[in-house]
Order: sequence, then structure tokens, then C-alpha cells
Amino acid sequence: MMHNILTNIIFLPLLTAVILGVVRAPIKILKFGAFFSSVLTLFLVLWVTYHFDPHGGMQFIQHSPWIKSTGITYFVGVDFLSLIMLLLITLLMPPLYIYMMHEERKGYWYNMMLLQTGVTGAVLSLDLVLFYLFWETMLLPIFIMIGKYGNGMHQYNAMKIILMTILGSMSMLFSIMYLGYMHFEVTGIWSFAIEDLTNIIFDVETSIWLAAGFLLAFIIKIPLVGFHTWMAPAYGSAPTPAVVIMSSIMAKLGIYGIWRFGFGLFETTLMYYAPVIIVLALIGLIYYAIRAIKEENLRRMFAYSSGSHLSLIALGLFLTNIYAWSGSLYLIGTHALASAGIFIMIGLIYKRFKTVHISDLGGIAGQAPIFAFFFAFFALSIAGLPGTGGFVAELLIIIGAFKTNIWIGVFTAVTMISAMVYVFWMLQRTLFGTARNTCSFNDLNFREIIMLLPLVILLLLTGIAPSLFTPMFEPQLSAFLQDTLHAIGGLK
Amino acid sequence: MLSLIVVLPFLSALLLALVYLADTKSKRYAFYTIVGVGTPAIMTLLSFSVGYQLLNGSATIHHTLFQWIDIGDFNISVAFMADRLSVVMISFITFIGTLIHIYAAGYMKEDEGYGKFFSYFNLFMGSMLLLVLADNPIMMFIGWELVGLSSYLLIGFYHQNSDNITAANKAFILNRVGDFAFIMALSLLFINVGAEGFTFDAIAAHISMIDHETLRLIGILLFIGAMGKSAQIPLYVWLPDAMAGPTPVSALIHAATMVTAGVYMVARYSFIYVEIPDVGLFIASVGAASALFAAIIASYQSDIKKILAYSTMSQLGYMFIAVGLGAYSSGIFHVFTHAFFKALLFMGAGAVIIALHHEQNIFKMGGLRKHLKLVYITMFIATLAISGIPPFAGFFSKDAILVTAFVSEHYIIWGAGTLTALLTAFYMFRLLFTVFHSQEKEKHALVSLPASMTKPLVVLAFGSATAGLLGVNEAYGGNSAINTFLSLPDIKLHLSHATEYMIGGLNVILALLGMGLAYKLFAGNAEEAEENTFFKKLVINKFYIDELYDFLIVKPLLGMSDLIEKFIDPKIFDGFINLNVRAYLGAAVLFGKLQNGKVRYYALYILVGVSAISCYMLIKLGVL
Repeated sequence: MMHNILTNIIFLPLLTAVILGVVRAPIKILKFGAFFSSVLTLFLVLWVTYHFDPHGGMQFIQHSPWIKSTGITYFVGVDFLSLIMLLLITLLMPPLYIYMMHEERKGYWYNMMLLQTGVTGAVLSLDLVLFYLFWETMLLPIFIMIGKYGNGMHQYNAMKIILMTILGSMSMLFSIMYLGYMHFEVTGIWSFAIEDLTNIIFDVETSIWLAAGFLLAFIIKIPLVGFHTWMAPAYGSAPTPAVVIMSSIMAKLGIYGIWRFGFGLFETTLMYYAPVIIVLALIGLIYYAIRAIKEENLRRMFAYSSGSHLSLIALGLFLTNIYAWSGSLYLIGTHALASAGIFIMIGLIYKRFKTVHISDLGGIAGQAPIFAFFFAFFALSIAGLPGTGGFVAELLIIIGAFKTNIWIGVFTAVTMISAMVYVFWMLQRTLFGTARNTCSFNDLNFREIIMLLPLVILLLLTGIAPSLFTPMFEPQLSAFLQDTLHAIGGLK
Repeated sequence: MLSLIVVLPFLSALLLALVYLADTKSKRYAFYTIVGVGTPAIMTLLSFSVGYQLLNGSATIHHTLFQWIDIGDFNISVAFMADRLSVVMISFITFIGTLIHIYAAGYMKEDEGYGKFFSYFNLFMGSMLLLVLADNPIMMFIGWELVGLSSYLLIGFYHQNSDNITAANKAFILNRVGDFAFIMALSLLFINVGAEGFTFDAIAAHISMIDHETLRLIGILLFIGAMGKSAQIPLYVWLPDAMAGPTPVSALIHAATMVTAGVYMVARYSFIYVEIPDVGLFIASVGAASALFAAIIASYQSDIKKILAYSTMSQLGYMFIAVGLGAYSSGIFHVFTHAFFKALLFMGAGAVIIALHHEQNIFKMGGLRKHLKLVYITMFIATLAISGIPPFAGFFSKDAILVTAFVSEHYIIWGAGTLTALLTAFYMFRLLFTVFHSQEKEKHALVSLPASMTKPLVVLAFGSATAGLLGVNEAYGGNSAINTFLSLPDIKLHLSHATEYMIGGLNVILALLGMGLAYKLFAGNAEEAEENTFFKKLVINKFYIDELYDFLIVKPLLGMSDLIEKFIDPKIFDGFINLNVRAYLGAAVLFGKLQNGKVRYYALYILVGVSAISCYMLIKLGVL
């Protein structure tokens, strides 16, 4: 079991789904099986984390040939970056299954298991074709979940997200194919493994086009401003578990992609794009936050909020210094936890009131103090209150921004205010004041508290004692940064 | 022990919150009181013992709890430092804090959120002590933010009324505007000297590494942070609204402790400000303007708590005059004395409000002197103290500030400060006479006050009368004990005793003048000011600053949000995408038309195709 541990982690959920599907398991067993597979995966991932060597580079590698004629291999491994993504995915799945406990539609459960395999595979793949495969795999369940189980104009919105994302995927696929071909041209053998491809030297123009292919896919996924119109409709229509995965994991995969493939393959070329992306990210940071102020639908509001914070992460990534990079990495983790929390809370509101429109809410704090506490906690974590992990991340990114340029610093620091405005006004209209909805609001029950508590504790720990977490990624991150800076410096 | 002072209230806040959330309906009055009030009492003892250690020789006490973060040069610990400045601060914060906690136990007794209140109150104490005892700017900033959070929670304590939450939001967001500047200052400070370590000691030692321009920028940005927290022009508008919280909150947070954090910060960073006196002058000017501005508004308000709020802002202005001009000890001295009499005034006001069933308009009170004798006497002492009548506390601290302004030849600042002194006596005695002396307009059915609410008043009245003696200077036969103890880098001033007496005498005369005027106008038949002249209308409506903010910031922001929602997103970004979609559909329709099932059309396509290929080949072969 521990020999091919990453493979087990990737395929355990899918395998469970296939077995349960083949035996046409009744819904009760299906629920149990899905939950059990997520917990088992969590233990496997914790085992990997425990044995992970912070100084060891890529670890737990499994590399075996797959399609020999074109050099496509099954190549998985884990380093600091994929480990953090992996931890987030597996930590979020059990709470999501607890959230779904009363969901009776079987398709919903199968989709979630497929989704887990898709996202896990994407973060562990080290072969570009394999990565592409998982990248598309994870889109499928999202499409079905929005289209089939969504609300509002869900079919239209499902179509919108799939078309826009596929536009990016296609451009990425083209770049991947061309990279493999280049490797063939230069060395005479086909290969799509990142470690082989980094050695190829392109002329500048080719490199710019190839990088653009990747960037388009990732920028749409994040999304940076201008590529974002799929986001709010999709978040607004999707069922809660799908929203959580989209905001906490899939959007971060855009960042992950830039980090792994962008900085892994095209460091110098990325510096060519850096000014554009920094400007887009700074605009996005403020643009989404302003847009969120007047948003009535809570899911859409936090969709914009998510966009704002992901812009901040993208910004940190392109500032290429240790503070900004650590901050971005930290924010990937803490924002994933906080946004998972807030979207689950919004889902709980929907379960109780059948609405997520702010104008229908109000006075929740009077009826359900525990609910109000959790809701306010997650909302404030998103806004980066000290004591929660978001503050540490934002602080690091702001320092990194000032290190680069004082004006970038000033605009980045706006994040201190921008999120506060919509978060506090939203809290006022949902939790406080007088209830505008006549049905009574049940407070959180025991199951719901258990589901949310891990997120709260992790957010507090990351905020109060970041030193517990930073040694896990700091050595490899600095080494990666050194390599990148070395490569960039080599150009000058 | 130092860490315990900070950690203890956080733990107790957590405990109270858990117990409260476990069952919000049940009344655990005894438990909440013992934990809620006991914690600050223990902290007071601990603070005093730390102070005792410092008095007995040790220069500063450092204690590191654990390492917070270590990335690159960014190495920050959760560490605390007690030097003379912070020990003065924590002594009065914990002492007055405890008194206000005791008072609150009486004030909030009937409230169903009693447990929640003490949880928030202890959270505030912890945050405030973290702010004061922090060993490095980052920890200070965290405390700074958390006091803002507790202030938000407590202003919006009666959350069923949405207006209270509006006030709470206003406070938090305006404070955040200040914090925006604060964090920029910290970042600049870090990238300039952070490599040498980022504690106050390390920064002070390497301050010369920063060039003068950057240092000025840092100084200004830090002060903008202070403006937010300490309610100075233009970030003050939240403070009057913050009175929506329960009165003990106003006494503790919005009078005695949190709002003075800005002054404390300037004193803490005095090693920066001594290098940049021009920024200091700017600070003093903002302080003087705020002092005078707030005093004018206070003279026309009718709500007892709002008068006190503007008065707080005005007194904070004095403190900024002092620290701006480099008289850091005098600023801290005024923070110290002000904490006593302003907390007392708020608690007295709270007692009156409770006694009158939550009536806050002073013109509906009247004649309470006979009924609330103890409250009357203690508030009278506080009013004498704030008006600067010797030998009460306010005289010595305010006098020190005005003397500094005069001797350092900033006559405009001095003039504004002196005029404010006159107004202060006027509006404070206006309040006192209207509430306690003027004719009773209606019979009051008074609620009797519990002992927990009245006893703390007596202690504070004693403090208000005597706290000033700690800072009596040579001219009045003292030795400026507090200045000597603080040993901050104060400017050295040379002045004769004659100047001292002249300025002191002038202040007393003006204060008596203000008092007399207030007696004449309000002790008999007090009438609420009417908006009958342009000036009065302007002042009573607080110079329409709130409306200005609304017009300049809130409306454009909401407008922009609307613009994005209604135009930029759907028309421009989606418009572009939909344009492509439509072009694609258009192409489909076009191709559909071509494929119409009529053979002669297909024959035509073949003809066109064959001709085109032929032409191409002919050109390629060079025939044409």
C-alpha cells in the first residue's frame, strides 16, 4: 500500500466509485463508501506529510512508461507545492461529505469521488499529458454538478464555464504538444516529463507563444480580471460542495499551474509577462472587491471575494521574492480553508431558508448565536483579521510588494481595506438587525459543528503560530526561488 | 509573568465565550462575574508587580513566548517588553479596567448577553495589553487590530438595532483606513532596517540607516494610523457614533484606553519622531485643530455621551500637541490623568442614564443633584479636573502641554489650545449644571443604583483629584516625577517660573470664566440650542462632515459597484465574449444557407473549387 502511495491516493476515490457503481450499491452504502474513501485518503496523505522531507525536493516518485511510442509516462511525485494542495484537497473532502449527508441523489456522490481523483491527479502529475488528462477530468464533474444539480440559470452557466475553461485548455494542449515535439526535435526522443522539458532551450519568440498557451488556461481558471465572467454565474448556480471545490481547490490550481509549469519551464518568459499580470492582478484585487459590495447573492459575493484574493495570490507569485512567494503559498492554504468555511456556511443558510439573498436575511445572530459566531469567524478570516492565517499571508505579500516597488506596495496594501467593506456590510445585513424571514433559524447542530471545527482550528493555528507550518515549505521554496532568480538573472 | 498578563485575558475571554455559546439562555451570573471581573483584577496585581520590579532597578523586562514566523529576514517572535513607558500604561489600563469591569457587573446585570459582554471585554483587555507590551511592531499591530475588533463587537453589542451595527462598521472601517497607512509604514520600516532584527530596540539602534525622506514618510504614515485609532481630524467621525455601545464600553475603550493608543504609538516610536520635527509639528497642528474643532461641537450637543465623546477627541488633540512637539512625557501624563477623569465622567453619565431609564438628552434631566448625590459629587470633581482647576489632575497635565506649545514658540497651536481650555470648562460645566442643577422639567422615577456602580466612582474621583500630583513640576514645588520616571527623549525647554505662572494663571482664569458662563446660562433654566443662526446650524449638525464623507466616499464607491454590475461586466467583458459567440452562430447560419440541398448550387461550389485549385496550380507552375 505504501509503495505506490501517491497512486493509491489519486485513484482510491475513483476505485471506490467504480466498485460501488458496478455493484449498484444502495445510497446508504454509497454514502458510507464515499466518506470512508475520503477518510482513508486523508490518512494516506497524513502519512505522506509525516514522512515528507522538507529539504528533499520531489519525493515519493513513481515513474513508469505508459504510451511508449510518444514518450508519455505515468509520472507522479510530491514536493512542497503539491503537498500543500494535496493536504487541502483531502482535508476538505470529509467535511464536504458530512455536509452532504442528507443528499439522496446518487449521481451527486459519484461526481464528488470523480472530482477528488481529478484534482488530486492534477496536483501530483509530473508529466504534461498526464496533467492535462486530470485537468480535464476535474472539469467534467463540475459541469455535471452545475448543469444537473445547480439552481438558477444553471444550464446556461454550466455551458459558460465549460466553454471558457476549454478555450484555455485547448491553448494549453497546443503548447504541451509543441513542447513534446520540440523535445523530439532536439533529442530525437519524445518526452512530456517536466524534468526533461526544462532542459530544452527555445528561441525567445517560440517561448513567448508557448508560455501564452499555458498562461491563458491558468488565468481563466484563477480568474484574473477580464477572464472572469464565468465565475460569478458558476459559483451562484453550483451546489455547495462544487462551489467549495471550485473556490478552494480549482482556482488555486490555476496558481499551482503557473508555479509548477510557468516557473518550471519558462521563468524568463514569465518575467516578460510579469508587468501585465501584476497590473491585471492589482486591478482585479480592487475591481472584484468593489463589485462585491453591492452583490445581493451571498454565493456570488464570495465568488468575487475569491477572485479578489486569488488576484492577490497571483500578484505575490509574480513579485518573485521570498516574502511575496511565502505569502502567496500561505494564502493558498488559508484562503482555501476560509472560503471553504464561508461557502459551507452559505450552504447551511440555503438549507434552512432556501435563499442566499441578503435582502431576505437578517437577525440571525439573535436566533442562532453559534451559527453567527462561525459565520462571522469565516467571514473575518477571509478579510484577513489578525489571529487568522489570512493576516499572515497578506502581511507577507504586502512586505514583498514593498520590497519590489513602493507603488505596487501601496496598491497591494489596499487589500487591508477592500475586503472589510463588503464583509462588514454583509455581516450587518445577514447576522444583525431584525429578522426579515419568518421561519425560525435553527442553530448549528452537533454534526455541523464537528464538520466546521477543524477549519476553525486550522485557521487559528495558522494565524497564531505560523512557525508550525512554515518549516514545511520554506527550504524548498527558497531553493526554487533561488533557481528562478538565477535563471532570470542569467538573461540580463 | 509578563506573558501571563497578556495571555490570561485571552484565555478567560475564550472560556467565557465557550460557556456562553454552550447555552446562551441560562443565567450564570456568578460564574461570568467571577471570571470576567476576576481576570482584570489579577492582571492589575501582576502589572503592579512588574512596575515594582522596574522601580527597583531593572531597566526593561523582556519575555519571549514563542517564535511567530521566520521567513527570510522576517523573524518575528511573540515577545513582550515592559519598559517604563509601557509599565505606566499597563498600570492604569489594568487598574481602571478593573474598576470599569466592576461597574459593568452592575450596569449589565439585567442584560441577557451578560456572558458575551464579559467575553468581549476581556478580549479587549488582552488585545490592549498586547498592543502596549509588544516587543516588536508586528505584535503591536496585531494588538492594534484586535482592539479594533473588540471595539467593533462592543459598539454593536445591541445588534438587534441595525443602526448600532452601522456605527460599529464605521468605527472598524475608518480604523482600517488608518491601519492601511500603519501597515505601509511597517513594511517600509522592515525593508529598510528589518535585516538587523525587527524589535523596537533593534529598530531604534539602526534608525540612522534610513534616509531622511523615507523616515518622514514612515512618520506620517504611522501618524495616519494613530489618527484613525485616536479619532483625530479627518478620521474622527466614528467616535461620536461609537457611543451606541453600552456605557462601560465607552468608558473603557472610547475614553480611557483604546483611543489613547495613537498617542502611545507616537511615544513608542519617539526614536523616529525626534529625527523628524517637521512631521512632529504637523502632528501637533492636527492635534490642535482637532482639540478646538471637537470642543466647539461639544458645546452644542445635547446627548450626554456625545458631549463626552467630542470631549475625548478634544483631549486627545491635546495629547497629540504634546507628543507632536516632542514633549512625550507630557503627552503620556495627560493620557494618564485623562483616563481617570474621563472614565469617571462616562461612568457617572452611565449611572445617570440607568437611573433615568436610558434617557440620554441632558435637557430632559435637570435637578438631579438632590437625588444622585454621590454621582453628582464625583462628577463635579471630574469636571473640575478636566477643566484644569488646580489642584485637580487635569490642571497639571494640560498646563504642561500648553507651556510646551508656548515656549517652543508655536503660538497658533498654543492659542488654539488655550481657547479649547476655555471651551472645555464651558461645555463640561454646561453638562454638569444642566443635568444636576437646572430646573426639573418632569418628575423622574429614579432607578436605584447598585453599589458595584457607585463605589468605583469614588475610587476614580480620588484618582481624578490626586493623579496630577505625580507630575507636578518645579514651578509648583514638585519634581516632575512622572517625566523623570518615563525618561523619554523629550525636548529640553528653558523657561522661567514667571512664564509658568502666567500661563497657568491664564488657564485658570479662562476655566473659571467658562464655568461662570455655563452657570449663568444653564444652572437655572437650561434650554436646548436651536438651529436659529447659520453658525449654530452648522455646529449642531457637526459641520456636515458625515454628509461630506457620504458624498465623497460612500456614494462613489456604491456607484462604482453599480457601474461594474450594470455595465462593465455584462456589456464590456461579457459583451466581447458574446460577440464571439454571435459571430460563431452567424457563421453557422451562413454555412447552413450554403447547404440548401439544391444540386445546381452544389455544382456551382464544385466549379468554384476546381477553378480556384486550377488557378493556384497554374500560378505555382509559373504558367500565368
